[in-house]
Amino acid sequence: MSLTTGAPMVETELRAASVPAAQAKPAASPIRKVGVIGAGVMGAGIAAQVANAGVPVVLLDIVPGGAAKATERMLKTDPAPFMQKAAARLVTPGDIEGGLPLLADCDWIVEAIVERPDAKRDLYAKLEAVRKPGSVVSSNTSTIPLSALTQGLGEVFAADFLITHFFNPPRYMRLLEVVQGPATRAEALAAITDFGDRVLGKTVIPCKDRPGFIANRIGGMWMQSAINRAFDLGLTVEEADAVMGRPMGVPKTGVFGLLDLVGIDLMPHVAASMKATLPETDAYVLGLRDNALITRMIAEGRTGRKGKGGFYTREKGAGGESLKRALDLTTGDYRASDKPQLESLALRDLRALAEHPDRGGRYARAVLLDTLAYAAALVPEIADSVADVDAAMRLGYNWKYGPFELIDRVGAAWLARALAEDGRPVPPLLAQVAEGSFYRVQDGALEYFGTDGGYHAVPRPAGVLLLADIKRRAKPLARNGSASLWDLGDGVACLEFHSKMNALDPGTVEMIGKAIAMGRKGGFKALVIHNEGEQFSVGANIGLALFAANIAAWGEIEGLIEQGQKAMRSLRDAPFPVVGAPSGMALGGGCEILLHCDAVQAHAESYIGLVEVGVGLIPGWGGCTTMLRRWAENPRAPKGPMPPVAKAFEMISTAQVAKSAFEAKEMLLLRPTDGITFNRDRLLADAKARALSLVEGYAPPEVKPLRLPGASGRAALAMAVQQQAALGRATPHDVVVCDHLAETLTGGRKDHTEETTEAELHALERRSFMALLKTPATLARVEHMLETGRPLRN
Amino acid sequence: MPTYAAPLRDMRFVLNELAGTDRLRALPGCEEIGPDLVDPVLEEAAKFCSEVLLPLNRSGDEEGCTLENGVVRTPRGFPEAYRAFREAGWTSLGADPDYGGQGLPKSVGMLVEEMICSANLSFGMYPGLSHGATMAISKHGTPEQKALYLPKLTSGEWSGTMCLTEPHCGTDLGLIRTKAVPAGDGSHRITGNKIFISAGEHDLADNIVHLVLAKLPDAPPGTRGISLFVVPKFLPSEDGRPGPRNAVTCTGLEHKMGIKASATCAMAFDEAKGWLVGRPHKGLSAMFTMMNEARLGVGVQGLGIAEIAYQNAVAYARDRIQGRGLQGTQAPDRPADPILVHPDVRRMLLTMRAMTEGCRALSALAALEHDVSVRHPDAAVRQQADDFVQLMTPIIKAVFTDTGWDAAMLGMQVWGGHGYIRDNGMEQFARDARITQIYEGTNGIQALDLVGRKLGAHGGRYLRSFFHPVLAFIEAQQDAPAMEEFILPLAKAFGRLQQVTGEVAQRGLRDPFEAGAAATDYLRLFGLTAMAYAWARMAALALEQDDAFYKAKLATARFFMQRILPETSSLAAKVLAGGESLREFEDAAF
Repeated sequence: MSLTTGAPMVETELRAASVPAAQAKPAASPIRKVGVIGAGVMGAGIAAQVANAGVPVVLLDIVPGGAAKATERMLKTDPAPFMQKAAARLVTPGDIEGGLPLLADCDWIVEAIVERPDAKRDLYAKLEAVRKPGSVVSSNTSTIPLSALTQGLGEVFAADFLITHFFNPPRYMRLLEVVQGPATRAEALAAITDFGDRVLGKTVIPCKDRPGFIANRIGGMWMQSAINRAFDLGLTVEEADAVMGRPMGVPKTGVFGLLDLVGIDLMPHVAASMKATLPETDAYVLGLRDNALITRMIAEGRTGRKGKGGFYTREKGAGGESLKRALDLTTGDYRASDKPQLESLALRDLRALAEHPDRGGRYARAVLLDTLAYAAALVPEIADSVADVDAAMRLGYNWKYGPFELIDRVGAAWLARALAEDGRPVPPLLAQVAEGSFYRVQDGALEYFGTDGGYHAVPRPAGVLLLADIKRRAKPLARNGSASLWDLGDGVACLEFHSKMNALDPGTVEMIGKAIAMGRKGGFKALVIHNEGEQFSVGANIGLALFAANIAAWGEIEGLIEQGQKAMRSLRDAPFPVVGAPSGMALGGGCEILLHCDAVQAHAESYIGLVEVGVGLIPGWGGCTTMLRRWAENPRAPKGPMPPVAKAFEMISTAQVAKSAFEAKEMLLLRPTDGITFNRDRLLADAKARALSLVEGYAPPEVKPLRLPGASGRAALAMAVQQQAALGRATPHDVVVCDHLAETLTGGRKDHTEETTEAELHALERRSFMALLKTPATLARVEHMLETGRPLRN
Repeated sequence: MPTYAAPLRDMRFVLNELAGTDRLRALPGCEEIGPDLVDPVLEEAAKFCSEVLLPLNRSGDEEGCTLENGVVRTPRGFPEAYRAFREAGWTSLGADPDYGGQGLPKSVGMLVEEMICSANLSFGMYPGLSHGATMAISKHGTPEQKALYLPKLTSGEWSGTMCLTEPHCGTDLGLIRTKAVPAGDGSHRITGNKIFISAGEHDLADNIVHLVLAKLPDAPPGTRGISLFVVPKFLPSEDGRPGPRNAVTCTGLEHKMGIKASATCAMAFDEAKGWLVGRPHKGLSAMFTMMNEARLGVGVQGLGIAEIAYQNAVAYARDRIQGRGLQGTQAPDRPADPILVHPDVRRMLLTMRAMTEGCRALSALAALEHDVSVRHPDAAVRQQADDFVQLMTPIIKAVFTDTGWDAAMLGMQVWGGHGYIRDNGMEQFARDARITQIYEGTNGIQALDLVGRKLGAHGGRYLRSFFHPVLAFIEAQQDAPAMEEFILPLAKAFGRLQQVTGEVAQRGLRDPFEAGAAATDYLRLFGLTAMAYAWARMAALALEQDDAFYKAKLATARFFMQRILPETSSLAAKVLAGGESLREFEDAAF
């Protein structure tokens, strides 16, 4: 529903926002303008990410008007390539034909056109005529050797040229593979590495000029092995995907689900290009085979999700319900998809799985041996460091563990023995590590096994601070099952959540209390709230709340709400600065924690929102109160008691979630002064610096009472909700939830002639929360969310 | 010889006043339910049980069943009694009118079941098993299977069995070995051995319809690979009459501690012809859909035994004179006082009575919710009622059968040495009751079902169907001075149950061993609290009335609150102590 009051949305200063305020700024990047040629999925996505970072970008395409169309299309794509709509304004579209002069002032030109060396060289030759001296040119090729690209283009071009290989989609995938040629200037490489890392937020991995670089080379081998072995050993697609999933740490799509996702017809292209460039003796080339079933599927247009189904498909059941079907690899027909029932799948230990005699175990063993031996044989051919290889597979294929981490999990000696048993060669690096492991922790520091036979610290660039490293070095200052407190050094402590999905529970609240008490006693001078989980926090543990509600433990629940409110106030009112550093989702209670921090340093990929109405509740930990204050204190919002209420109501009643840190600023979930970090690995260091910058002269913020419209405002909101209900846009229970939200936001029995204090508003939040929790419709919503992950529209 | 008079007054009270027939009458097919319809049914059932079934109980126990050349004979009088039973319409009481049933709700049927179980538990097994088979076919059978089997099962002409257990597996049915091979004509050939099959073979009915769990050739391993088949003893001919003998035979009768008149058979299937019921590999879930009802039925068996043990203990305690009362002589005209006056005898009798009536009250509440869960037109209401039934089923099964055993023990104790003498019949109740704690899922399994399946299901939604109404009742009654003596203890036990439930759920989530270690004590804690709720509700009703029945109700309610409910305190302590001592004990040291 929409209840606009005419207040203009706050325009965010793109450039300023991306740089954390008041901290030692690293030297600005020499790259101030970027050109991207080729507006396909990759080129357009790269351009969008450059724009996201606040850097102007020219996007050219061979099709007249193609770049403009691609930019337009990206505003509607989900997941969105742009972090905010305004970022699209930094993209200047144009045609290659006649548009090349637009690149004249670009410091970096990325080529992402068709994968044909001649076409690329032709384009480069034309670029030489327009680009400015000292600018860098790179190709996003994934198949063509660098040497083939620079051929015949002269020394100057070769010095300015490298390969920058992004992963799809460029905004969300954190890997950037960079390949330099023998002639590439060190400054060119340094400038792109720095820009990719700090500005675009990517982990830049140096690769050798070998086909497929790191991730696609090893990933390609893994896919080939995972497919072939599944056919050979007679596994069902579900079984194969399940073995690949949790046990090996591959995303749960496994291999067949992944093929459906990326398109099965991609396979022959990858195979052809690898075959063309790799030696005949390469294990990948040796393993290539014609798969009649896959060939037939491609011929019939069954190419996966984009086509007419793939290894999995969905069919309408008799009752109209959607039924998951899976391909029988032996008959080629679809059958009802079933949960795999292999004894080996119950095993948690990877080696035990690989030693299990059933087909799941034999499959795991075979794929592990193929993939890990291949990877071990490729260092130093494709990269100098096993740590780089692992990082590439984690970030480029979303594996939980890289190949060398997997080797450590099964044991390097075990792998070598298993290879020998099968009469296969043991790669030299594997033989060299012998009974040891590829990683070790020495004096609290993580080290990897180098090709020289010695261990070396896994390098962390300046400005990268990882909680994982801290945790290796030290014991927590305090810890319980849900959260811990760590010493970051320099008098800054870090509060880490580590419950499942970082859901907030009594343990989290307890740890907040402990942290505040410790800080008050002078244990540290600033606090950062941060964790390295997928999600900062998905909000309060609603499973716990639902169970407590089902056994009518109302007193306990209300007590927890009250303790939570107290914890939020204590974060804000503590005599030291508190900085929130989220990445991923910060929803519900997770968002409320950020709302009570003195400052937030957010990863650009932060998804923040007050989503309580989705489960039939309202924010109860001061979220309503703080949003009212944010809008009331916003200089650009219209004056008077109603506009802040309407704004907060609009956002909370529709459970809006910011899809980036920039959107969060537009929604006032973040302040204009809050910082945004693009590289996740740099978030904690930025947050710590931000916290330290606030220490001197710190005073907790003053909390002023509000003037709220009271019953008349509530009636106005109720009318708007009724209209939405009449239009079928609000369900019956939406009306109930909205009324409680309206009552809370308008100050209950108070009106604009008197002041409403924070304590009164918090009491209203509690009352509404408890009243809603006692309704069967809210309980049904909570239950539905827990069981399906989707909101119930009742 | 034991005597039995059905507790009709109390049955009418729990049906009409406690559960209340208003909600029942709002259900389709139950519009006519009321004293005019129900009282004659109950009275007739009471008469049949006392006059026909009870006299066969002792003799049936002495004679047992016999097996000769594959033919099983039930004890003398059983075939005649069974014919009279089905001709009087007792097999069709609760059955579907579409297949010749009378369609009475469970709320009435459960009371009749209790009477049968009191009078002759062994006899009750035969129609009880038929009911299970009827449910399986009516829920999962094809229209043809329904048309063929249901009318005969309903009329009692044919009887049914449930063939689950095999020599090497009972609780863990994933291990079964019986095979079913498609015959190509839509039927299957079933081969394997089953044991402990109640009513597997007998001389009461014209045909026996076996519901058999078996594995198809392509079955996945474990419980997800079990299918359900119907295998008739005689293959029905075109006109639905029993035809040629099927290859299913009784190879042995078990010699048991009790329920000796119930034929517990070892069955051999040798390429017997059978037909799939429901979907392939979904046999276990098909069985589970009727598991609740079967388990409630076993709970009622416990209740039935407890009732008859109580009645005969009271009769003996009035009759037997021994010593003088501690409160002074009570029967000066006799050489000694009846033992009824002794406090410890009174303790035993009141314990039996309070638990028995408490169970009956709970069974009435559960039966009503069962009826709502299957008959109400609104799916949301059906679900809410079903939640309660799901939750209470393991509690009722375990607590009621424990009550049956405890009452049988106490009954023997009141009788002293004479309780141990076979001719007096009291020890038979103990022997008969003992199996109810074991079959249809041991009471330990019930406890695991409660903590493992019922507690956490849907975020604890089943619990809501109990905790919310009980809290509402406490809040509504807490200001009534006359109710204080019932509400205070109830509220205390309820608070304890809330706390312990939260603990068990949390610990169980972290560590299933903890849930398992807490299960049995937790179930009893829950059961006693539920019973306290039933007793408090009965007390509220009794306070408004003023005859001897209600006075006794109030007095029994007081006894329950003061002398039984405090057990919840020790149960809570046991649960909260955790499973450490169970876990740490060395296996080798046992």
